[in-house]
Amino acid sequence: MKNGFTIFMIVLLVFGLGSFLIRDSGVSNKVDGGNFGSGEIQKVVLNQDRYNYKDAFVEAGKPISLSADSSVTGCLRSVVFNLDGKRYVKYLKTPKDTLELPALSKGIYNFACSMGMGYGKLIVK
Amino acid sequence: MTLKEFTKELNGNNRVEGELIKAIFYSLFFSFGLFILLYYFKLQYIENFISKYSFYLFFAILSYAIVLPSIRQVRAYKNLTCMSGMMVGMTTGMIAGFLPGFFIGSTNGMLWGSVFGMGIGIFIGVWNGKCCGIMGIMEGLMAGFMGGIMGAMTAVMMINDNLKVAGLIVFLISSVIIFLLNFMIYKETKESERQVKEDYSLIIFISLILTAITIFFMVYGPRSILFG
Repeated sequence: MKNGFTIFMIVLLVFGLGSFLIRDSGVSNKVDGGNFGSGEIQKVVLNQDRYNYKDAFVEAGKPISLSADSSVTGCLRSVVFNLDGKRYVKYLKTPKDTLELPALSKGIYNFACSMGMGYGKLIVK
Repeated sequence: MTLKEFTKELNGNNRVEGELIKAIFYSLFFSFGLFILLYYFKLQYIENFISKYSFYLFFAILSYAIVLPSIRQVRAYKNLTCMSGMMVGMTTGMIAGFLPGFFIGSTNGMLWGSVFGMGIGIFIGVWNGKCCGIMGIMEGLMAGFMGGIMGAMTAVMMINDNLKVAGLIVFLISSVIIFLLNFMIYKETKESERQVKEDYSLIIFISLILTAITIFFMVYGPRSILFG
């Protein structure tokens, strides 16, 4: 087989480098919220404003428990935050479901629904 | 029977089909080489590089390696019939648009995944499709345009639903489509004489360019809110 050696080299390259590159990549860097200490947790309820979220306001330095009321529908119930390279994602199926976020410093944090269609701002004061 | 002849021809000496596997090897070898070089000097210092980008980058490089040999195969015969040329333009445009769109869409979001996918899909689709004139060019243009957007959109919509598994499945199906395209070109040109004989520098050059652009775009490129 004339190309036998070439095919062997292709397999070697793909599996050699592939095992290195895929090894540590994991399934995703997704975090389904989490427990961020026993400090005072502030509750935030998201509302929908036409095709986006209404702006939500929280205080700095306190962990956040996020839920969505019944005005939030469709893919907007699946909320995605990208905080310091970590993705916090949860499908808030009912108004009782919550997404836990760590304490944040002052600033405006953009978030979106999981399909990237609806957007909102979490304003930390 | 013809498929058997085609697989035999992949090991042959006379026709361009005998060079396809080597073209895949050269594309992979130089793309991975560039990646290792960049990783050693720069990329390893980027926080979470492996966990954030490596999977998608790896499959983007594999995607270029399966698409580019079809350019070599089409160039070897220069002119194809209208119907075959349209299939060539459409298939290469779609795959070359969808796969980069999907992998860039997974790291940079829908807009930039679409722009990237459309750019590469249209470029390769038109280049390959022009072997049969305006109809092939139009097919390449349309398929690249649609494939790029579809790839990025699929990636963004699957972000919370096993995106990496989807990436693997999409790549495997695309590989089968490209293999069948190579077979179709072989079948259509079986009686034709080879028009152009060339070395592998074009494949190597395009592989290096595409890999470099992909790495740059993934790591330093603009991204949507969803990706921070």
